[in-house]
Amino acid sequence: MSWNKVAVVGGGLIKFGELFEQSYEQMASGAFDAAVSAVDKGFDPSQVEAAFVATQRGTLWGQEGIGGNTVPTAIGLAGIPCTRIENACPSGSDAFRVGAMAVASGVHDVVLVIGVEKMRDKSGDEGLLARAASGHPVYTRGETAPVLFAPFATRHMYEFGTTREMLASVAVKNHYNGARNPNAHFKNEITIEDALKSAPVCHPLHLLDCCPQTDGAAAVLLVSAERAEEFTDNPVYVAGFGVATDHPYLHEKTTFTGLRATTLAAERAYKMAGVEPSQIDSAEVHDCFTITEILDIEDLGFFEKGEGGVASLEGETSLTGRIPVNTSGGLLAKGHPIGATGVAQIVECWSQLRGQADERQVEMRNGYALQHNVGGRGSGVSVINILTTNR
Amino acid sequence: MTNPVQIIAVGAAVPAWRLPASEVAAAWGRKGGRGQAAACPPDEDVLTLAADAALRALAASGLQTDIVDGLWWGTSRPPFAEGPSHSFLAAAIGLSAKSGGTLCSGSAHSGLDALVSAADAVAAGSARVALVVASDAIIPGAGTGFEERAGAGAAAFVLTNDDGAASIGARVTRTHPYLDRYRGDQEGETRDIYDGRLFREEVFLPIMRDLGAPMAALDITAWSLPDPDGRLGTTVAKQLGAGTPASAVVYAAAGDTGAAAAMLGAIAALDTAGRVGIVGFGGGRATGIVVTADRPVPGAAGLADLLAVGRPASYAEVLRARNVLVPNGETVAMAVPPQSAQLVRGADEILGLLGARCVDCGTINTPPTIHPHCISCGSSKFVLEPIARHGVVHTYVINHTMPAPFQAPLPLAVVDLDDGARVMLQVAGDGKTLEIGSEVDLVLRRYAHERGVPVYGYKCAVRATTETTEETKT
Repeated sequence: MSWNKVAVVGGGLIKFGELFEQSYEQMASGAFDAAVSAVDKGFDPSQVEAAFVATQRGTLWGQEGIGGNTVPTAIGLAGIPCTRIENACPSGSDAFRVGAMAVASGVHDVVLVIGVEKMRDKSGDEGLLARAASGHPVYTRGETAPVLFAPFATRHMYEFGTTREMLASVAVKNHYNGARNPNAHFKNEITIEDALKSAPVCHPLHLLDCCPQTDGAAAVLLVSAERAEEFTDNPVYVAGFGVATDHPYLHEKTTFTGLRATTLAAERAYKMAGVEPSQIDSAEVHDCFTITEILDIEDLGFFEKGEGGVASLEGETSLTGRIPVNTSGGLLAKGHPIGATGVAQIVECWSQLRGQADERQVEMRNGYALQHNVGGRGSGVSVINILTTNR
Repeated sequence: MTNPVQIIAVGAAVPAWRLPASEVAAAWGRKGGRGQAAACPPDEDVLTLAADAALRALAASGLQTDIVDGLWWGTSRPPFAEGPSHSFLAAAIGLSAKSGGTLCSGSAHSGLDALVSAADAVAAGSARVALVVASDAIIPGAGTGFEERAGAGAAAFVLTNDDGAASIGARVTRTHPYLDRYRGDQEGETRDIYDGRLFREEVFLPIMRDLGAPMAALDITAWSLPDPDGRLGTTVAKQLGAGTPASAVVYAAAGDTGAAAAMLGAIAALDTAGRVGIVGFGGGRATGIVVTADRPVPGAAGLADLLAVGRPASYAEVLRARNVLVPNGETVAMAVPPQSAQLVRGADEILGLLGARCVDCGTINTPPTIHPHCISCGSSKFVLEPIARHGVVHTYVINHTMPAPFQAPLPLAVVDLDDGARVMLQVAGDGKTLEIGSEVDLVLRRYAHERGVPVYGYKCAVRATTETTEETKT
């Protein structure tokens, strides 16, 4: 039996990309407008009682300690309660979970969850890559984002015979899907050969194994399940969620073929939603790197451990496959504006469940879609939300 | 009558790179260029070389590091121009916090200053076990005549008052105030000799004659002699009635190793019994010491292998590592400065490579200061202990994409150590021979140079195997 205390009645995002021409505030405003205009029966912005904003790192655009107050002013709702959620790459999905709990608690009936991330105001070197010098002066020195996932690729290849072609097939599929998503950062299809020939970034990962650095914003509107029909005849409910942590440093891992945070979060989310992995019709999972999607689809129970690479190469996660994964284009093609990512994934699940995903629409047999992020130091935080059309 | 001071073991270190002299000559439009010199990659310096040599000497001695009473370190140029050079090296070698000793610096003579001071301390009874290390990695002025020969290396002797394979005998010293190679105020690079003929005729050869004659009378069988210009070593040897000095092999493979040259040349002779004349020179001083080896000195035989390896490096690579060739623009600063609390809290565990062994389940947690509770069982009862320095690679990456000051490729590996601890550390070198299952040793290396000072930590060094798999890595 699913949780179903909260409904999503609107969702939208701005077109992701290198949005040099837009401020953080303009991106937030654009995403909020998209969510409001997507509400079937109309939505008066003044109905928003509280907001939860996910922004992972203000330092990328010179904001050391950005709080929750920037977004309300930017969207014309100065004065409302607003809390900023920062929980690494799952910041957006965790803001969604916290927003849902705020509604389910009865404190608020109508809540905005919005993710906004400015990734490209600084140069690549002074932006995300500066992470190489952050953290412990010795034990994490040189640890850029790919270093968090590449060791898993090395070991997955060693233990299961996963190949670079299998990794590349994930990028090919997600670019194919992204080319069909008007809001994706990249709208070009690629071939396995393109991915294999792309420049090395962090062995064994190459450029097309990696998601881009993307500006973007996405927003969803949550209401109590009882009031959903005021806003739409086709509500989507929060069936359940799961959050888990794992040790923050890579040397503390006992295995390099899977992410324990995902496995634990999945157990909790499936239990709360009352579903099995086989009942999921469509999944938006964290594919910051190609190997990450392969780990995810195993850790989420869609495939046996070690079989994710072969399954990807054989098309089992394509739009027409057994379990379509990252129909939006994923982080690899749609982009990964960190705080916005989880919220944008929710928007994709919402569209798929309502049959509004156009060219990317997949068959909804059971009425369940899953959204997943994993990240942070040691990839030690995972958040999963499961949505459903089943009341 | 007390026993003469004994040498019970020696150790050497040579950095990973070899700079062909022809590369330097070509860069400055000169023809030729003979031989090569050892050069430090960005993660090696006088302190890491000293630590490598010291640990080899201590391993050859069979002694535990905690019974060493003092460290005597000689280097032209300490890693902290003013600062805790000696204490950082002592901590990295694992010496007791109660150990003493001296840092000798300021010229290439400082290696023998350290050796003489340590020997005196042992003779006087103020130290029972003394560790002497001489190391240098001179940064020669770009375009100078001695740039082709300016090398890098380290030598270490373990001294006691009994039971040594060799003993320290006669000693002779001369001082003469003149200016040969020097580094001026605020200068980063060492200037060459002003006038080669002046130096040779009025300074070097007269001092060597004065110093060498009484030593030669003692039936010296092998010499370690200074060779400031690539020819003078042979000239002096001829004057002393000797053949090729033992030190010539060190100069040929590693170049002029500055403060380390006299002791490194001696190690080249100490793998057989005999009487060695060791001469150190620099900074207006010269010292000769006679050492009599009754049998091969433990550790001495390892030098030949160290001299034989090393990868050729380009002149540009070496200039970058010496911070002579500097990228334009900003570099990314370390998140915490070297003086800050995290590095004060963590000094012992980083330099001493400590782990916290869980009393309840045995799991080793590293580093201890970020693990108040065990990662396996949650217990908070620990015993601090040095972790193993050898292990096997579980998985790895090679990072190609980082901002300055990082230099690609940068391999990083997750390693399972012999005592069961798992660590993730940078890997020294380019990672070309790195594989899952590779055997690695943990060695002290320079991780960063920040606010004018070095930041040290351990890296994995892949053990050379007889059969290297030819797998191309990108």
